[in-house]
Amino acid sequence: MRRVSIGIVLAAVLLVGCFCGILLVFFGHTGPVMDAAGRYASRAVAETGAVNLVSAIYLNYRLFDTLFEIFVFSVAVLGVRFYLVGRSEEEAVERVPESQVIRTSADLLFPLILLLGIYLALFGHLSPGGGFSGGVVAGSGLLLCAVALGTEAIARRFHETAFEQLEWIILLAILLLAVFPIVFGLIPLSDLLPHGRTGSLMSGGTILIYNLLIGLKVFIGTWVIIYYFLRHRGEV
Amino acid sequence: MVRQSLLILLPMIAAFALSQRRRLAAIIGMGLLSFMLAGVYLLSHAPDVAITEVAIGAALVTFIYVLAIRKTGRLVVASDEVPGLLSREGEALIGLEYAILTGFARHLGLDLAVHLLPSAEVKATLLRGEADIGAGGIVGTDDERFLSTPGHLPTALFRLSSGGDIRAQPSLKKRQEGYFSDVLEAVRTGKRRAYTLDLARFVALSRLDLSDYTVTRLEGEPSYTFLVAPDKEALHHQFVSYLDRLRESKELARLISRYFP
Repeated sequence: MRRVSIGIVLAAVLLVGCFCGILLVFFGHTGPVMDAAGRYASRAVAETGAVNLVSAIYLNYRLFDTLFEIFVFSVAVLGVRFYLVGRSEEEAVERVPESQVIRTSADLLFPLILLLGIYLALFGHLSPGGGFSGGVVAGSGLLLCAVALGTEAIARRFHETAFEQLEWIILLAILLLAVFPIVFGLIPLSDLLPHGRTGSLMSGGTILIYNLLIGLKVFIGTWVIIYYFLRHRGEV
Repeated sequence: MVRQSLLILLPMIAAFALSQRRRLAAIIGMGLLSFMLAGVYLLSHAPDVAITEVAIGAALVTFIYVLAIRKTGRLVVASDEVPGLLSREGEALIGLEYAILTGFARHLGLDLAVHLLPSAEVKATLLRGEADIGAGGIVGTDDERFLSTPGHLPTALFRLSSGGDIRAQPSLKKRQEGYFSDVLEAVRTGKRRAYTLDLARFVALSRLDLSDYTVTRLEGEPSYTFLVAPDKEALHHQFVSYLDRLRESKELARLISRYFP
């Protein structure tokens, strides 16, 4: 049997512990039963500091739901890894070089796509977007590069086992950030940071941090899915 | 107005995606559906959802499906190049067997991929599991290792043999791959003394100077068949019943008269 490193066991225990903690604290907690939608629409900007109501809801009022959605994505990535790692790798085929058009447009488009992804994640609390779509957009940019230049070329520069582990470290960080308010005697998932001037980048409290963390996590997850599919099902 | 027309279009595209036999077309239909859906979200004042729908549904999921069908969505044929049966004409492939295989692939909803190989390598490729069907002037064998189909075209076997020396024919152009290049190469260099050739290959070869050889027609009534890789029993069954249907509907006779008038 393979020895499991202490770090993984600790991380797993910590993950489960965070979740149990959140569940325990909320066990007797019944939220306001009144008209939630009306309250969100009329008071969200003042209460959360985020101009984009959607992100105000899913990263502040309903952060609890979002945590599970992050989990769903992580499990999906894990599933892809689990089922593809066992499959035999494609034997190295002589790569047909992509046409100049595709390579040049990949070179031109990749920085723009990456920038769009970062923008979507960074300005998620001000304009449409958010960490999830930002991460996927940036990941699709990598996909374009993988198609144009070959997966191995990208993976050599980019892919590390540590990189895959970073995804789980970020998940841990998100959970810790959610539990952290306990230290200050607040209920978990509540907002600690100042709301800032409404409409400026540094507003919305923790929503900005959540967006960035989720964006990075989804970006890595998307790349892991693409990488394993390309490696075990062959190049496009 | 735009939203209404999009909403009417949505189920139509969904039906299009569902009704496609070719998997790639179905996947493209799904990507299109995602795009339309994103448009509906955008017009319903939900730009966040629209952005996510485009990034996930139209880009990522489409791509992953394309990768997933890469292997299962193809019917791989290993074939020698034989004039009349399966040969190159410029960039395209033509011939009786190619027509049959195209029809069969469409019947299964798969994309046809033909690898042209020297005749000696067709069987080895099938045994290695790198191809599903072997074609290109395979004359009915009783080779137990393969699943063969009933003959679709009668042929005859000829034996070319030579007692004395054979003049090399260097004037023949050397071809890199494809139609019985190994036999052609042997005739060109004059190294081998005897061949057994089927009718299509014999006819193609008879444009060469064969005066050094004596030609005898072999006994029997052979016919061309396809070979199916040994572990693909379900495919073999489908192929045999497809050929039976072709024969019953006189479609096969029509195809034969088209390629061999």
